[in-house]
Amino acid sequence: MASHTSKAFLSLGRINVSGLGLQKSVSRVTYATDLSIRSSNVNKGLPDRGDRGFFRRPRRTAGEPRTEKMPVDQDWTAVYPAATPFRPSSVPLPVRMGYPVKGGVPPEKKGNLELIKIPNFLHLTPAAIKKHCEALKPFCTEWPSALDTDKKCDEHFPIKVGSTDYVSAGLSVRNPSARIVHLKVKLSSLNLDDHARKKMLKLVGERYCKDTDVLTITTDSCPLRQQNHDYAMYLLTVLYHESWKTEAWEADKTVADMEEYSWEDSPSQRNVLDMLVRMKVAGEGEGEELREQLLGRKEVQEYKDSVTRLKNEGESESTMLQYKEAVKKVLNL
Amino acid sequence: MAAPMALRRELFSLARKISGISHLTPRALGACSGHRKCNIIRSHLPLASSTSFHTATVFLSTPSSITVTEEPDTLFQKVSLLVKGHDRAVLDSYEFFATMAAKELGININKVHELPKDMERFTLLKSVHIFKNHRVQYEMRTHYRCIELSHITGCTAQVYLEYIQRNLPEGVAMEVTKTAMEKVPDHILEPMWEDHPIDDKPSQ
Repeated sequence: MASHTSKAFLSLGRINVSGLGLQKSVSRVTYATDLSIRSSNVNKGLPDRGDRGFFRRPRRTAGEPRTEKMPVDQDWTAVYPAATPFRPSSVPLPVRMGYPVKGGVPPEKKGNLELIKIPNFLHLTPAAIKKHCEALKPFCTEWPSALDTDKKCDEHFPIKVGSTDYVSAGLSVRNPSARIVHLKVKLSSLNLDDHARKKMLKLVGERYCKDTDVLTITTDSCPLRQQNHDYAMYLLTVLYHESWKTEAWEADKTVADMEEYSWEDSPSQRNVLDMLVRMKVAGEGEGEELREQLLGRKEVQEYKDSVTRLKNEGESESTMLQYKEAVKKVLNL
Repeated sequence: MAAPMALRRELFSLARKISGISHLTPRALGACSGHRKCNIIRSHLPLASSTSFHTATVFLSTPSSITVTEEPDTLFQKVSLLVKGHDRAVLDSYEFFATMAAKELGININKVHELPKDMERFTLLKSVHIFKNHRVQYEMRTHYRCIELSHITGCTAQVYLEYIQRNLPEGVAMEVTKTAMEKVPDHILEPMWEDHPIDDKPSQ
């Protein structure tokens, strides 16, 4: 009997001593683990702070963590089926995170706020992703196998419509820039003749890129993307049909309006023919047929090609060389 | 001539599949929600399979009825995902998740690359009142990750993007998706004027 009571006293004393010792041995660095120790000493019923007058119910002690009971070949997708914060008692990994205590290691996962703060991907393990995709597969469709190259896509589907979606966390899920629509089409894929193409280029102006032959129409005047898309298609239709029309005032097109240089009825043609006529003034008869005959000569044709190329493409090594050769042939040098 | 016709037939048979449980979240999903005018038929969830709730099929506990319509599916030549975040490790994990999901669903990935990070720095006064010589500097780092997918149908893109966007990590990563669509012009095949058009106002 006495031994029992003495043992009881001893055990009590030991608990007290160990409690005090724990409080003293806590290091200067405070972590969230500190709080659990404090709260276990204070839950005996009496409120410790004066301002809080209510009776705090004694908290039941936590059992052993779930990690002890986890088999190795368990189904992890059942442990973390959805995105949840980190639960140290549910994750059987010895993770440590945080700034190391002096002379020590980073703190353990129990009560570690740093691990709870960061986003975790425990619900998206490869096994979980495979399961999700298996469930999602029936809703997917296959890409048509005949459209494997970009060229075939361009041939059958020449119009490309581009738009952007934005996903972000904020006060509102909507982003006004999501209504912008870009419509890109290659002019070579539209049914345009020469006049229609030139008129289209004049109507469109800067929206056409000569290197890639792509017309880009960007619409953002309507508040909804569907409306902008319809407006872009409407613009394309109008451009197409208007460019096929020939107005009366288009007959007043001057040489300055021409997009590219044409040698017929140009000062260059007149000069060359005049010069050749004067050179051959002792030869055949004069008149229009002489000019026609001269036009048909090979050197004159070559000269015409070289001048056209020079004017259209600009000055470069090859164009200048070609012009030089043509001039030499015409003047018989 | 036969090839385009066969192709058109194949395309028109590419019907759009609507899921019974497609909860279109208020988040702006892909541009493929363009001309969708089909009704979504909600399936009546049978209660018998709720017993399997606590096992792995929590996320899709009941089989939903898949409706197949005759509307032709949209085709995306290129879908580009740009993910932005403050933490590079989170973006690494997300990239692994997105690429694995694309591989499982059979979407071909063109390129996965990392754009150089942006750092926005600013210098503020450290003290509330005076002490102009004592400042404090802050910086905000934005890391990027770009995943480019090619040749996706509208249904697949919708499914994949919804899955990806629902599993976007909190706050850290934002996503911008560029979708380039392909279409065939129908009323732009022939000009509507006669051989000698007169300039009267067209009415379309």
